[in-house]
Amino acid sequence: MSIVLETQSVTKRFGGLTAVNSVDLQVPEHTIASVIGPNGAGKTTFFNCITGFYIPEEGDVLFQGASLIGIAPDKIAKLGIARTYQNIRLFNTMTVIENVMVGHHPRMKKGLIGAVLRGPSTVAEERDAYRMAMDLLRFIGLKDKADVMARNLPYGDQRRLEIARALANEPHLLLLDEPAAGMNPQETAAMTEFIRRLRDERGQTILLIEHDMRVVMGISDQVTVLDHGEKISEGPPDKVKRDPRVIEAYLGKPLEEDV
Amino acid sequence: MAIRNGTRAGLIFGFIMVFLILIGVPETINVILQEATTNIDVETGQVINTAAFLFVMGVVAGFAAARKEEPDPLSGAVLSGLIAGLITGATTGLMIIILRSLALSEIDLREYLDKLSPTAIESLALRLSPILAGGAHVLIFALSGATGGLLNWIGRGPWRGPVGQMISNTRDRLARLPIVAQAQNSPITRYVVWAAVIAVVMIVPQFLNDYWSFVLGTVGIYVIMGLGLNIVVGMAGLLDLGNVAFFAVGAYTVGLLTAPEPVGVLWDFWTALIFGIVLAGLAGVILGVPVLRLRGDYLAIVTLGLGEIIRILIRSDLLKDFTGGPRGVRDISGPSLFGLEIGSERTFLYFILVGIFLLIFVTIRLKNSRVGRAWIAMREDETVAQAMGINTLNYKLLAFGMGAAFAGLGGVLFASRNQFTGPEDHTLLVSINVLAVVIVGGMNSIPGVILGAFALKGLPEILRQLDEYRVLVFGGLLVVMMILRPEGLWPSQRTRLQFSDEDEPVPIELSSATSAAPTPIKADVEEQKQAATR
Repeated sequence: MSIVLETQSVTKRFGGLTAVNSVDLQVPEHTIASVIGPNGAGKTTFFNCITGFYIPEEGDVLFQGASLIGIAPDKIAKLGIARTYQNIRLFNTMTVIENVMVGHHPRMKKGLIGAVLRGPSTVAEERDAYRMAMDLLRFIGLKDKADVMARNLPYGDQRRLEIARALANEPHLLLLDEPAAGMNPQETAAMTEFIRRLRDERGQTILLIEHDMRVVMGISDQVTVLDHGEKISEGPPDKVKRDPRVIEAYLGKPLEEDV
Repeated sequence: MAIRNGTRAGLIFGFIMVFLILIGVPETINVILQEATTNIDVETGQVINTAAFLFVMGVVAGFAAARKEEPDPLSGAVLSGLIAGLITGATTGLMIIILRSLALSEIDLREYLDKLSPTAIESLALRLSPILAGGAHVLIFALSGATGGLLNWIGRGPWRGPVGQMISNTRDRLARLPIVAQAQNSPITRYVVWAAVIAVVMIVPQFLNDYWSFVLGTVGIYVIMGLGLNIVVGMAGLLDLGNVAFFAVGAYTVGLLTAPEPVGVLWDFWTALIFGIVLAGLAGVILGVPVLRLRGDYLAIVTLGLGEIIRILIRSDLLKDFTGGPRGVRDISGPSLFGLEIGSERTFLYFILVGIFLLIFVTIRLKNSRVGRAWIAMREDETVAQAMGINTLNYKLLAFGMGAAFAGLGGVLFASRNQFTGPEDHTLLVSINVLAVVIVGGMNSIPGVILGAFALKGLPEILRQLDEYRVLVFGGLLVVMMILRPEGLWPSQRTRLQFSDEDEPVPIELSSATSAAPTPIKADVEEQKQAATR
């Protein structure tokens, strides 16, 4: 199994605050790796370091063996890393299918001239992109809503559409930022199952941020726990779940008198 | 309901009528109509024209009053129209009683209000005695108000019932015919429709004299610039207030390359045209590099400064030898085709129309392409667009360059038509006008840009009869227009949906309401952090 993503002691500071402190992580191909931790643990900052929106002060991010440090976010997306957002950020006034087609942008080539002349190759490219987007919508069950405006979708559909938009990139690595945030237990279960299908049916490599333990423990191949920007535990879900340091980070230290 | 709606519309229109009378609108219309209908004697014409004007205003008032009524029953609409008419009529009637009495006792009101000449008051009073005139006003407005309410009710169509059912049935049946469905999906239908539109538009100038050709030409040039700015503001979401800079580049390129002074190279117009467009586009890209790192309001301020810099540069002593300074450039050559001079206003209008159709073609093609999607995505959320692999800086430059090239073409046409260009053609007002064309018409909508240009550049010409009150009325109309149609005269499909959503919120699952609330704050913090790291 080859390693898709590797971070080597990545550190990100904001002034005096160290948001991410020397985090090492490896994501093997076709697996789901999770990063968990309480609020403010530095999970989203860690994501932003991978996608190029932040430049870490120390350490290195290797994607398929090449460093991503200093590469612009759009170039990183083109290399094959796609992401979703904790607070859904769809293109609200675009239709569902247009959102997905924007996700396919880095895999298309035609520019200004191609668009104006609209020769056979442009027509073919547009048609292929449309078909690809339709296939994805079928996969996430939104085929019938292709021409609905994104903002008019129900919440759960918006979450799935955001994932479809990321998948349209045909990414080697999919980053999901709290995909079950704001969902009730049934929706969470459906989303968990959906993420599992991504790995099992499409062989998608996934790095997942979540603080809902039900999502993480059921589907992760490997879990990394962050607290105050530092890695405090790592391993398969069962092992991490029993780690006293993890329990402490989530529930607090037991008081001396009670023991 | 009917009473409240009627009263409100009545008071508003009463106020509007008083205002219109004070600035002499009825008399102006009277004069225009009399010129058109020479076979009626002046006195009868005076009465008929004024009555007609009052009636039309009453219909509008009644129509507006019935707007908020339920579609059923009929009485509500008519009643509210009637009440609106009565109140409007009472207002103007009272005014006319006072004015007519004063006029009859030989007091010249022109000392205070210069539009209230004795003849104007005479026509307003329909040549009747004060009391009768007041009564006539109430009667006319009551009748016309009720008519307006009725028209509104008819327009909304609860009467349709069986007839409407039949029409929609026939339409459905027609749509199901295979040949119709085929025609709807076939590109040939689209070509035929376009050909028809082009043919109609190309015939229109044949019926225009030089003056109206000139007016329409100005409208056309603003359509061209509006289409360009529409790409920048409407599609890519970059608020650009410096459009005039590229307009000036186009105008001065054609001026300096074809005029005998001050450079005197005397190039061919068509070469200068290409140069003008390309140079303006290049200027857009070059000036865009430093400017486009800014977002939103900051971008607006900086582009505004940019436009001013260009204007001040061309009139400065520094560049006097190259630009002619404050005197401008004279004797710019016009285009010729196969040896034929395109001299008259009408032929030049054709030339402008061809340009418009070409640009509409380009805009439509761009809109439905990878480039257009990238622009719209960028407007929606720049950060996410970048995370999706869109090189935002390049796409911004592309949008800016396209907008600049369109504006450059506008400048070339403008300078070559006037055979002159000077610093005063390139003030900030041009940028603001073009932006207003886009906003009044409807963001990101091609028909919107055309309507907007008509409203902003054509309407003032039609209002020219009102001379010094022209701008006042025009401003008032703009305000009313934006209150009634905030999304623009002809909004794009996208905007239309957006605005209609706000009227009736889409039911969202409860879970989203609870989770969506705190997230914007998070997003803000994130954004700030990003800004800090840059």
